Amino acid sequence: MDPVTLAVLSARFTAIVEEMGEGLLRTAYSQILNSSRDFSIAVTDGACRLVAQADHIPVHVGAMPFAAKAVLDTFGSDMKAGDVFLLNDPWHGGSHLPDLTIVLPVFSDGVVRFYSVVRAHQSDIGGGTHGGYNPGANEIWQEGLRIPPIRLGENFTMRPDLVSMLALNTRINRDFRGDLAAMLGSAKLGANRLSDLLTQHGSGNLMLAVDAILDLAHVHAARIVESWPDGTWQGEAVLDDDGHGQENIAIRATCTKQGGTLTVDLSASDDQVQGFVNSSYPNMFSAVCMAFAYLLDPEVSKNEGAFRALRVVAREGSVVWAREGAAVTLCTSHCSNEIVEAIVRAMSKCCPQRAMGGWGRRFRIAITGRDARRPERKFVWHLFHARPGGGGHAKGDGWSSAGEWHSAGGLKFGSVEMAEARFPLHFRRHEFLGGTAGTGEHRGGHGGQLELIVESDGPSRGNTAGDGVRHGSAGILGGQDSAPHRYALRHADGSERLLRTKEVGVVIQSGEVLEVRSAGGGGWGDPAKRDPALIARDIEEGLA
Amino acid sequence: MHYTIGVDVGGTFTDVVGVDAEGREYLAKAASTPQDQSEGVLDGLRNLAAALGLTLAELLETTTRIVHGTTVATNALLERRGARTAMLTTEGHRDVTAMREGLKPARYDLRLPQPPALIPRQLRLPVRERLRPDGRVEIPLDSASLDAAITTLREQDVESVAICFLHSWAAPKHEHAAADAVRAALPGVFVTCSADVLPQIKEFERFSTTAVNAYVGPIVSRYLTRLESRLREAGYTQPVFVILSHGGMAPIDEAARLAVGTALSGPAGGVAAAMALARRGLGQQLVTLDMGGTSTDIALIQDGAATLGRGREVGGERIALDSLDIITLGAGGGSIAHLGSGGTLEVGPQSAGARPGPACYGNGGTEPTVTDANLALGYLDATRFLGGARLLDVAAAENAVARLAAKLNLSAEATALGIYRLVNARMADGVRIATVRRGVDPRGATLLAFGGAAGLHASAVARDLGMARIAVPLFAAGLSAWGMLQTELRHEIARSVVSAEAMPSDSALTALLDGLEAEARKQLAQWFKGEVVTHRAADLRYGEQVFEITVNLDGVTPDRAGLRAAFHARHRALFTYDLPEEEVVLVTARAAASGLLPPLPVRPAGADEQADATGTRRALLETGWAELPVYGFEALAAGQSIEGPAIIESATTTVLLLAGDTARMETGGWLMIERV
Repeated sequence: MDPVTLAVLSARFTAIVEEMGEGLLRTAYSQILNSSRDFSIAVTDGACRLVAQADHIPVHVGAMPFAAKAVLDTFGSDMKAGDVFLLNDPWHGGSHLPDLTIVLPVFSDGVVRFYSVVRAHQSDIGGGTHGGYNPGANEIWQEGLRIPPIRLGENFTMRPDLVSMLALNTRINRDFRGDLAAMLGSAKLGANRLSDLLTQHGSGNLMLAVDAILDLAHVHAARIVESWPDGTWQGEAVLDDDGHGQENIAIRATCTKQGGTLTVDLSASDDQVQGFVNSSYPNMFSAVCMAFAYLLDPEVSKNEGAFRALRVVAREGSVVWAREGAAVTLCTSHCSNEIVEAIVRAMSKCCPQRAMGGWGRRFRIAITGRDARRPERKFVWHLFHARPGGGGHAKGDGWSSAGEWHSAGGLKFGSVEMAEARFPLHFRRHEFLGGTAGTGEHRGGHGGQLELIVESDGPSRGNTAGDGVRHGSAGILGGQDSAPHRYALRHADGSERLLRTKEVGVVIQSGEVLEVRSAGGGGWGDPAKRDPALIARDIEEGLA
Repeated sequence: MHYTIGVDVGGTFTDVVGVDAEGREYLAKAASTPQDQSEGVLDGLRNLAAALGLTLAELLETTTRIVHGTTVATNALLERRGARTAMLTTEGHRDVTAMREGLKPARYDLRLPQPPALIPRQLRLPVRERLRPDGRVEIPLDSASLDAAITTLREQDVESVAICFLHSWAAPKHEHAAADAVRAALPGVFVTCSADVLPQIKEFERFSTTAVNAYVGPIVSRYLTRLESRLREAGYTQPVFVILSHGGMAPIDEAARLAVGTALSGPAGGVAAAMALARRGLGQQLVTLDMGGTSTDIALIQDGAATLGRGREVGGERIALDSLDIITLGAGGGSIAHLGSGGTLEVGPQSAGARPGPACYGNGGTEPTVTDANLALGYLDATRFLGGARLLDVAAAENAVARLAAKLNLSAEATALGIYRLVNARMADGVRIATVRRGVDPRGATLLAFGGAAGLHASAVARDLGMARIAVPLFAAGLSAWGMLQTELRHEIARSVVSAEAMPSDSALTALLDGLEAEARKQLAQWFKGEVVTHRAADLRYGEQVFEITVNLDGVTPDRAGLRAAFHARHRALFTYDLPEEEVVLVTARAAASGLLPPLPVRPAGADEQADATGTRRALLETGWAELPVYGFEALAAGQSIEGPAIIESATTTVLLLAGDTARMETGGWLMIERV
């Protein structure tokens, strides 16, 4: 296969997944999709190998082929063009229940050549609490509706009775239907483009090109890995707690680099726990891929070939690979982020120039109540502000207020003005906060400071989901950990109540102030080596 | 005889196009002068005068209009050479522009350093004040903190100040009071308020746009003043207009006030030209392919009009003003082909630029560019490039290609053809972004190819996309400057009206839209006495959706029911569904006033007699080497048809017809290429 045709086709596959993503972004109804972009798009070949994935949320980078594989395992030869498959169950091709995945097979000459795969996070998936995250759950049935691979429809059309059954099990019926329609539209767009490509190039040639594209990515990744020294290193990251009394849950990575292959063994991680910080297998595998992608060059194609240079070992029954039935909803954030952190910590001893300090942990709160200006109107608002900082690295300080490992600057917080105009909220302060970053030769990015007054009609209630009030973002190579998150509710009498990261039904009286000090990023390298000019700049900016 | 003149300042050349009263078009070029673009403009005008047998003074005395596209603001932003700028902002919110809504580009590059903010934190000065979304004062403007900030401005020797307070979109009083205080204390400092730049809700977009305005304002203002005085000294007495990012134009004073509005004016002339050609009968659905030396601009014309967007960035800074929805690819004639880190052939984004330029320029370039590949393939005539002004070195081009071929383990011929195919594929993907991602099927549109290099690639790009029609104007190389003479004066006004209520009452809505329209008319009347056309629009969305859709309200009853119906229909058209039971929320109301200038006279193009081929050239096509007939572009008769494969060339443009193409010279002044 000549390099020009490969370059053209490789670009074409990327263009297809980007086009699918753009379509979903513009048509999705729920805020979590069209603003926060919490979705992923992939194309796999008939053997369920990842061919191309759009750059949306890194946490799904290695997870999508599991969905195609689950459909293939379930339906085998009982598939035809136009069939629409759906799933979400973490033990049947999913990562966690809020992520619905649509899979469309693409045929030529009666053989499945590709799968067009669209995954999108739903605003609600049933279960014990609104919004998909149930800190109280200690088994998956309390987390929402489980969907194994099902044939949702034929001829690119969903069966209305099945859609009604699914929608009936969620709280935000309208968003659910709108988002599902948008997902099918996007997957269908991909299937059409892939069919055109098959017609244009012939399936024989096209599949040879896919083999070659994957091989090239493998060579590319392996060439980078080969440039690192051989050896074995250990790294550890620790979760605060599981919300059910178990604290300091450790994820342990043993990384062995040999030639062009990196083996990541997570077997020594702690046993699975009660609460929803456990990971499903696909999510764990994906988190390892995400860490590996961060250590490579950003130009390396994110496909099966690149991840051939990676071997993943884990132990069923551990927190990173829980047994079927465990609660896992938080896993795309936690313990995904700790898996990345443990690997990067281990590898910082192998390829220090490529390692980066820890990115902040997730700590969000969903507030629901009634607007004093329109008491008949119930509101639900998700806090994305005061984002944590990114980690320092060899090339400079970390990004300020850019988010967590799993999103890495890909999640947007909304306009303060719009939030104040539309919700009973008053943002007294929302700024960077000095002293939150881990110091180092290159410090982490700054965390944020938020003072938010809820002006509701009567009390409102908040649910939290996150981690990181005990452990800050990891410092590496002599860099310091950041300060941890600190979220407090300031009562009218001046007293404060600290918020835990996994709480349901926190009562917020109208006029009370939510005071957030989010973690910065972890530092990189010895703080004593920090350029005095950079120290002076931080002082001048009032962020020392 | 009198003239109208369009001036397009590019990275390498300043193009000056003059059109006389009978519609004759003249193109003159001069080297651009980046340190002071007005020198190159005057040089270009002198060259144009010389070509017409006039002195500069004679030309300018008979010129009725000069329209100018400038890259002064763009370059200042890209090179970070703007004014020393500070921001006064609401206490507690001084990091709005630096936070960038939490977004970072390049998802998998965690070692990407964060670029410094346009205005550093120590110059983002908090002022104690606070408004509520309904404009109510929560904290009055505190004069002590304002004075303290002004003291800092003075101590820091600031040249320009952006005043950005929360909710000034609802009530500009605090911003205006602060601006008055700054102007009184620091005369000569450029002061701009966010409520005057972009009176719309969403602080990041408004503050960022205002910060850019402050950053480029003094420089653009100085430049335009200098240009105007040079023109006056040279004898010009009529108005000078500047083309803005939205494709309309404004007089010099307004362009200086809203300098940020010129930041994307560079490619606007080409889009204006495409719309003018659409009016002249080229077709209502066009995709422009403007291929230059380092980049290619692609835009979509639907129903004869260009689409506008508001999410553009220049130099990493968000500019939320209306701007033409143009896709810019980092690939052009000067793009360098190389072996990528992934082991495949890549083209760009590195470019040989004007210096050293492609290897075939003989200025020391050694890496193969797209132009070198085109020369090696026989598509370009080494002796007639730029009308023979520059002799191309074929051996240098072939050697550069051969060196890359060795790395790829391919023949030199296969490599040159590979570069050609790859750059075509990138253009095709760019067109897909501009069309398919916006829900438009490109197969129904005509590909309008212009700029120096597009004619060689257009047919292959169109084939990849299944587009059956391509147009290449005779004036392809100067089309952007020509397009500046085809646009209108425009003033746009927007106002946000967000509250806990979804929409104002019927009477308030009518008053709002009528008021905006009257305001836009009044503003335009200060510059223009002729016929004025107005348009209305509104940004609307469903209840909890995050993105608004701009809905055209021309002919729509300005009440709740009217806006709702218009929004449902638009949503259905864009996204295939609507939600009739859902609450429709008004975010921003808009009005635009356009002043229509008399259209330029048109002369039918084409020679009187059919032209024969002037010779043949050996070129490598996908099917192998072939001897292609070569025709002179200007010599073609109106209605003359030429079958591909063939080459049609003028002094500034070369067109490659592939087998199956039939080109026809149209009286409108373009070659229409269709495929059987």
